[in-house]
Amino acid sequence: MELQINDPFFQEKTKVVDALYQVLDPELMVNIIDLGLVYAVDFAIDGKILIKMTLTSQGCPLGEAIGQGVKNALSDDFPNHNITVDFVWEPQWNFEEISAAGREQLGF
Amino acid sequence: MNIGKPPKNSAVLPFYGTGAVFFLILSILMFVAANRFQEHFFHPETLALVHIAALGWGTMIIFGAAYQLMPVIFEKELFSSKLAFISFWFLLSGTILLIVSFWYFKPGLFMIGGGILVLISVMLYNLNIFKTAALAVISIQKLFLLVSALWLLITVTVGIILAINLYYPYISYNHLEILKLHAHSGFVGWFLQLITGVSSKLVPMFLFGKSNKTKLLYAAFSFQNIGLIGFILDHFFLGSSNRVFIYFLLVAIGILCWLNYLMDVYVKRVKKKIDIQMRYTFISFLSLLGALILAFIIIIVSGNRWSILYGLFVFLGWISALIFGKTFKTLPFIIWNIHYKNVHGKKNIPLPKDLYDERLLFYQFWCFIFALVILSLGVLLNQIVSIKIGLLLWIMVALMYAFNVARVFLHKKTI
Repeated sequence: MELQINDPFFQEKTKVVDALYQVLDPELMVNIIDLGLVYAVDFAIDGKILIKMTLTSQGCPLGEAIGQGVKNALSDDFPNHNITVDFVWEPQWNFEEISAAGREQLGF
Repeated sequence: MNIGKPPKNSAVLPFYGTGAVFFLILSILMFVAANRFQEHFFHPETLALVHIAALGWGTMIIFGAAYQLMPVIFEKELFSSKLAFISFWFLLSGTILLIVSFWYFKPGLFMIGGGILVLISVMLYNLNIFKTAALAVISIQKLFLLVSALWLLITVTVGIILAINLYYPYISYNHLEILKLHAHSGFVGWFLQLITGVSSKLVPMFLFGKSNKTKLLYAAFSFQNIGLIGFILDHFFLGSSNRVFIYFLLVAIGILCWLNYLMDVYVKRVKKKIDIQMRYTFISFLSLLGALILAFIIIIVSGNRWSILYGLFVFLGWISALIFGKTFKTLPFIIWNIHYKNVHGKKNIPLPKDLYDERLLFYQFWCFIFALVILSLGVLLNQIVSIKIGLLLWIMVALMYAFNVARVFLHKKTI
């Protein structure tokens, strides 16, 4: 996910991404940002943050925990926001989405 | 959140815990019955051991893992966690009845009743898997899972027919020949096809590898099933003959196609580091190749020691190694989910890998290799001392495994 500096919510989105570095995929032990699981962060609706993300596999038993992790990670920085996690399967995730830092942690 | 919920813990955890206990019982009873490794396999104690390995250990853990992984493989929620839990009690009670009635050789009500209880459990498993698959788009991996469930149903049904025949002989065919059909519909139909389907989905996920050679899996499916069906029908209607070699070859080609697919995934994998769980998987596949070679030897040379060795490589090599590895790829995650799901992302919390002792899993790996090699040599050379040393090592393997499983189960939330 790339952030645009001319985005009106650039600062908020940067804060979100920073917070989401705390959320690990428990199986791979790499955070969800470096894994490329987060596709978009949306502040369009006042008081609401919509996180559009995916999982490494559909039906992943840890999906609920990862979604909860996203909400927990953002709740301190955005206490007055309603956080919604929307899991999407298009585009399908593949390991080319993993950042250089993520690849290093995975021993690629 | 628009994702399916994982199965309830009651649908999975009882199978893992009970499987570990059965494995410990199996290793102790193998030592108690060490002399049976030098005798013909059709012996009450050997039959009891085989059923502990096949039902109490292999099928018990595989049911739990299958209920956990069905949502991953079918990309749909498990149809019913309640049915899964009920199937556990039927499997447990049926297995206990079967084992006790085999060990003390009491054909009749308990043996047949045990078989019927296992059959009910398998029917519930079939209902769950087919209902879960009903709305899913069918892929080759899913097909393997569905067909393996049907083979298990056939295996258990033939088993009950044999149990009745032991009490009230009514089959005009040789009991031992039908036993071969029962055993191989279990090995090739149930275990092999389930493992082929699950591994061809999970190994690419774990290794970050991709293979475009899906045709190999279709070939594996066709060869394994044609070989097995041909073997059963030919053996049943025409009797034992040299044609068994053709069916052996068909199944062997099916196995090689599947292993070739996994090899392609392995070669193209992005994740270079291989963890201890994947090493167990590697040994498991080597053991399967060993079992294939032994099956070939059995066709050419008759001899009980080869049959015993074949059984060892199937149950203690292939299936056990796979379970050792996969237990710690699934169980810690389920327990972690119970304790830390709601605090994930908030505080520094342990990871699933922190719930078991990885060093112990490593020591268990080497102990397991030695146990398998020493026991196999003992059987091959007909040396009771070597057999007993090998079996003592198996008890150590079982203790280490059970300790690590218990450690995961008894994990206390640390925050």
